[in-house]
Amino acid sequence: MSTTRVEHTRRSMAKRDPVLFGTLVAIWIIFAIFIFLPIIKLLSTTFVVDGSISFTNLIKIMGKSYNIRALYNSLILATAVAVTGTVLGYIFALAVTRTSLPPFFKGLLAAVTILPLISPPFTSSISLTLALGPNGMLLRALGITDFSIYGFIGTWISETLTYFPVAFMVITAVLNTMSANLDDAALSLGSSRWRMFRTITIPLSLPGIGNSILLLFGASLADFATPLILGGHTFPVLPTEAYLMITGMFDLKGGASLSFLLLIPALLVFILQRVLIGKKSYVSVTGKNGAKSAFGKLPHLLTAIISAVCAITVVFILYLYAIILWGSLVKVWGVNNTVTLQHFKYVFAHGKKAITDTLLIAVLSTVIGSILGVVIGYIAQRKNFFGKRFFEFGSMLNYALPGTVVGIAYIIAFNQKPILLTGTLAILVAAYVFRYYATGIRSVIASLAQIDPALEEASLSLGANSLRTFTHVTIPLIIPAVLAGMRYLFIHSMTAISATIFLVSVRWTLLTTRILESMTELQFSQASAFSIVLIIIVFVVDAIMLALMKWSTRKFTQQESISYEKIGA
Amino acid sequence: MKKLALDLNDVTKTFQKDDGYITAVDKVSLQVEEGEMVTFLGPSGCGKTTTLRMVAGFELPTSGSITIRGSDMTNTPVNKRKIGFVFQNYALFPHMSVYNNVAYGLKARGEKDKDIRDKVRDALVMVGLVDTENRYPSQLSGGEQQRVALARVIVMEPNLLLMDEPLSNLDAKLRIHMRTEIRRLQKKLGITCLYVTHDQSEALSMADRIVVMNKGKVEQVGTAFEIYSNPQSLFVADFIGQANIIHLKVTSLAEDVIGVQTHNGGVFSARCIIPDHIDSSVESYEVGKDAALVIRPESLTVIPYKGGEETFNAVVSSSVFVGSHVEYELTLPNNEMIKAFIPYTNNMQIFKEEEQVSFMIDPVNALFLPRKKNKP
Repeated sequence: MSTTRVEHTRRSMAKRDPVLFGTLVAIWIIFAIFIFLPIIKLLSTTFVVDGSISFTNLIKIMGKSYNIRALYNSLILATAVAVTGTVLGYIFALAVTRTSLPPFFKGLLAAVTILPLISPPFTSSISLTLALGPNGMLLRALGITDFSIYGFIGTWISETLTYFPVAFMVITAVLNTMSANLDDAALSLGSSRWRMFRTITIPLSLPGIGNSILLLFGASLADFATPLILGGHTFPVLPTEAYLMITGMFDLKGGASLSFLLLIPALLVFILQRVLIGKKSYVSVTGKNGAKSAFGKLPHLLTAIISAVCAITVVFILYLYAIILWGSLVKVWGVNNTVTLQHFKYVFAHGKKAITDTLLIAVLSTVIGSILGVVIGYIAQRKNFFGKRFFEFGSMLNYALPGTVVGIAYIIAFNQKPILLTGTLAILVAAYVFRYYATGIRSVIASLAQIDPALEEASLSLGANSLRTFTHVTIPLIIPAVLAGMRYLFIHSMTAISATIFLVSVRWTLLTTRILESMTELQFSQASAFSIVLIIIVFVVDAIMLALMKWSTRKFTQQESISYEKIGA
Repeated sequence: MKKLALDLNDVTKTFQKDDGYITAVDKVSLQVEEGEMVTFLGPSGCGKTTTLRMVAGFELPTSGSITIRGSDMTNTPVNKRKIGFVFQNYALFPHMSVYNNVAYGLKARGEKDKDIRDKVRDALVMVGLVDTENRYPSQLSGGEQQRVALARVIVMEPNLLLMDEPLSNLDAKLRIHMRTEIRRLQKKLGITCLYVTHDQSEALSMADRIVVMNKGKVEQVGTAFEIYSNPQSLFVADFIGQANIIHLKVTSLAEDVIGVQTHNGGVFSARCIIPDHIDSSVESYEVGKDAALVIRPESLTVIPYKGGEETFNAVVSSSVFVGSHVEYELTLPNNEMIKAFIPYTNNMQIFKEEEQVSFMIDPVNALFLPRKKNKP
């Protein structure tokens, strides 16, 4: 009975909606090649020895104390970064949502937190090296001689600065959904400000805090660039160990086994986070109704502490960026401070290929990823079909896995026939597309959920086929969401390195790998110049994208009518 | 032979919900003539909108067939059915001007630019919207949006005009105005129209025929007059207008006349509706069992208390003067409540609360209705 039903729906879908059927088949094939094949290859490299399943590789890896330490270090570092990043993010979020600090200062806080989000992931590592490393500016200024930035401390500080903006965004969103009336109610019932903060604000922001801790834990666990620059030999972590094992010792099996160790906690975090988000927080229930009264009733001492922490952090971040700029302009860092443009000349002469390659790859990834994101998001939100949940899970898998794992899986899967892609442009673009189109998919889904299906039905009933309906009605209405996805894709295709470090070749190179090379050759000024060029490109494109998003959102919200409560931007 | 505009044959729709199935539309059959205006009326969840959406092609029937102008369209996609659908929230494209909204279907059909321009202009004139072509839906009032939605559909000259509670978002006054407007347009264009509503005055005032639905089934199809004066089920009697239902004991059965014993011991007899087709869910009457007597509040006559067996006796439990008439609520000896609306005339006697009264029922206006099984 049930099987005939399934057969019936399958047959009728191919007949009734051939476009959907064809699209689904095409996407499943793409998923099979670029998502499932690599991960299966990775697992089989780890667990299949001489044609049978075996734990030999894993046991061999676990047998080396060095690797156990890397696993231990990874978990410790991720925990530390999750805690400090969340605390710092929470403080920033409180400053923006709960204090009566001047709007200028709040704007500055928001702007400064964007910097780490759109910079290459090791920007802060470079500037921390310049400030606190050998010959460091800050160290010399403070007269400290016996301090080493390399190791746990440096990695921890750098990752905290890199990832706290994520915590800030997540927690701000949660704090914004709370009603200020709750604070008023607590105070009017005779509670002190501290008690209000402890019993109202903190408990209600727990979902945001939890989500933030998971996100930061995952991000730190997967981070590759920061420990590579700042970890040194004293502080090995799993991603760097796996990288060295593959590029240094050409041990694919060892690299695969190490990345399996990394994959387990990463997937756990991803699933936990899904579960957490899946549960609707009870905060939003109280968020809508009631007149908005102003926040700003935190304890005075707390407000003072928050302001101080924010001010110091902002100054420190700006200082780090200034150092990079300064570093790119001096002749030899720490030795000869003559201002010169020679490093930029070098970048544009010898780094030109890296710049054009990076731009080409980023643009291709953005375009392809956005198209895929729109199609997948549309299908996931609007259509019902067999295996939909698995389809959604599959589409997000590469995003959930640490970049190192994806990179290793890609070289294992694509370095032999029938799909020989190593060294090509395609493998780099594929790596970026399937890792970073997730935001696009999600924003398309969210945006479609706001659009009344009656609009599409109206188009169909007026004789337009489903393709015309999609291009003339659906697409224009979700343009802002598509642009948001494109923005994310472009930034990450320009700056991300953890997966693609395994995939670059003589033919195709990236700005980020050039920065890394300069750092390992201790050419700090060159690294700084490359970073500045990269940051400026990303900034300019990002500004254009943001302007486009604002423009398109306004265009459609302006035309939104009262009877379309469901549309919204 | 004249072709039917629409022929629904045993159309059924089952939805899967949780672990079970829900039959939203249960074997609905209906024939609609060319140029007819048919309204679907019923409480929410009765299946009227699902029926309309199946005619449109948004939903496919689980079983049964849909024939439009002689061709089987049961599984035809929406965009090939040549129907026009007006949505409850109008579903105007917010990113297109009024002109582009109305021209949308013509463009999809690939008509020439010049033809499109002429047709759009004509359609906008017809709905009384001139000089709005370049405006956007958000710049229009609710009534104007409604007109654009109409223009967008009639410009296509569809086989069928389907409307899903199109007036429910308008304020009361505009709603009544738009009723006549839509009806005028429909007659002028000679277009066949199916119209879903839960507002009975809308359904009664606009339609050639009304389809009353309940729990996925058609309860009755007929003109406004037939539905009101000859309801074929307790549901229809109760749902359309107001009806009193009095339960009395059957004393005699003859042809289509039933005799019952009144509370005072007297005998009252009136017509009994025999369903068009024998339905196993209908309980037949037997002597000695209960029968449901249906009477409209305006068909009662209230008189000073008489006692005796010739009349029904009751106590006034509320008496409200509303201008055109007096509304009484009467309590029967068995504690059943009934309503009586007595038109106001000069010098009429108005009874007060707690007063003992008698009332009379004209057998011509009273009906015994068959009852569904499993219902009190």
